[in-house]
Amino acid sequence: MIWRILIFLWIATTMVVALLGAPLVPVLQETTRVLYFHVPSAWIASVALGWSMLNSILYLVRRDLRHDDQAAAAAELGLVFCIVATVTGSIWAKSMWGSWWNWDPRETSIFFVLLIYGAYLALRGSIEGEEKRARLSAVYSIVAFVAAVPLVFIVPRIYSSLHPDPIINSTGKVDMDPMITACFLSMLVGFTFLFIWLQSLRVRVFRLERRLAA
Amino acid sequence: MPRAASSSTATVWAILRKECRSEWRTRYGLNAAVLFAVTSLTAVTFAAGRMPDRPDLLSALLWITLLFAALSSMSHSFVREMESRTLLLMRLVASPTEIALGKLLFNLLFLVIVEVVTVPLFLLLTGAPPLRMAQFLLILGLGTLSLAASSTLVGAVIAQTRSRGALFAGVSLPLLLPVLASGVSGTRAQWDGMPVDGDARLLAAYAVALFGVSLLLYDHLWED
Repeated sequence: MIWRILIFLWIATTMVVALLGAPLVPVLQETTRVLYFHVPSAWIASVALGWSMLNSILYLVRRDLRHDDQAAAAAELGLVFCIVATVTGSIWAKSMWGSWWNWDPRETSIFFVLLIYGAYLALRGSIEGEEKRARLSAVYSIVAFVAAVPLVFIVPRIYSSLHPDPIINSTGKVDMDPMITACFLSMLVGFTFLFIWLQSLRVRVFRLERRLAA
Repeated sequence: MPRAASSSTATVWAILRKECRSEWRTRYGLNAAVLFAVTSLTAVTFAAGRMPDRPDLLSALLWITLLFAALSSMSHSFVREMESRTLLLMRLVASPTEIALGKLLFNLLFLVIVEVVTVPLFLLLTGAPPLRMAQFLLILGLGTLSLAASSTLVGAVIAQTRSRGALFAGVSLPLLLPVLASGVSGTRAQWDGMPVDGDARLLAAYAVALFGVSLLLYDHLWED
């Protein structure tokens, strides 16, 4: 309970400071502020999907259904954060590039990731038997992550993209205004705890569902 | 160790031969796939007409036709084992990895046959401009590898679910979209006289990643 309130206060405070206090980046102007939502969501999506894969591997090694709960919950949340990143990105694209959706390599690859994990959830729903579901989903989740990594990290480097890491972060190091960096990192911490809290809730629901079914 | 390796190569080979033989006896999988490919090809070329000056459309339509032909039939080598309840017997004589590798080779062969029929027909019917053969075959070959690797693994997973047929396309397609995207972009670059190495590298990386991770996962496909 106390965690929930702390996370809420943390994110709310950061949001106020970020929207009122932080300066703007020259080219991006007012759209700089999407940074505080878009990048943390994308970050949490990567963390969540990685966590899902890690737990899938652990499940295949240890055969403990608790790892399957973790993997499934993390995949669901990863999908949700991925959607948040896509929607905020699309809104940003509307004001910067002039259209909601443009099939820029970044947009394309995140869309593929969304579909792949959508397929993961569809697959989970169609397998009967806990052990079998856990095992086959784990196999698919590992493949999905292996397929998603090149999409997210290699595609934008092979095909030319208009995505603005070169504008904010041209040298490859974090090279932003200290105030922006502070708000951004604080938002990252807030989102990370938000994810941990949501994850623990979802895992608890899975566990209760299983106890009810047994 | 060399002995074990050679005996497992022999097992994979035996499974490939068994697949080919049982496919040859009925041929329904191959017939269905080729028929499907040719029919969708007809639909596409009839609807869009000849377009010798639109390599962008040609490459998109070519890959969509190939992908759909593959999806309509690639799961059947595992589904057939489930339906005829012969998987258990196979598992008595071979390890999961050997079974899956045999099926992978079979799927690869199957795809090549479908492509040998479909691709020339497509080029002919659409009046496509002349190919740069080496680049075209490179992109097509790498795409085929990824296609076979992913549909073998997904096919094995899907064969154990409730709604096999319907789910296979839905679950494989997202994994194959990157192949579609860089296949289309590579084929177009080939027609436009541009370099194809970026797309080829991506396709190769994707094929290697899928195949490598499949090798690690095959052992977990069946377990009772």
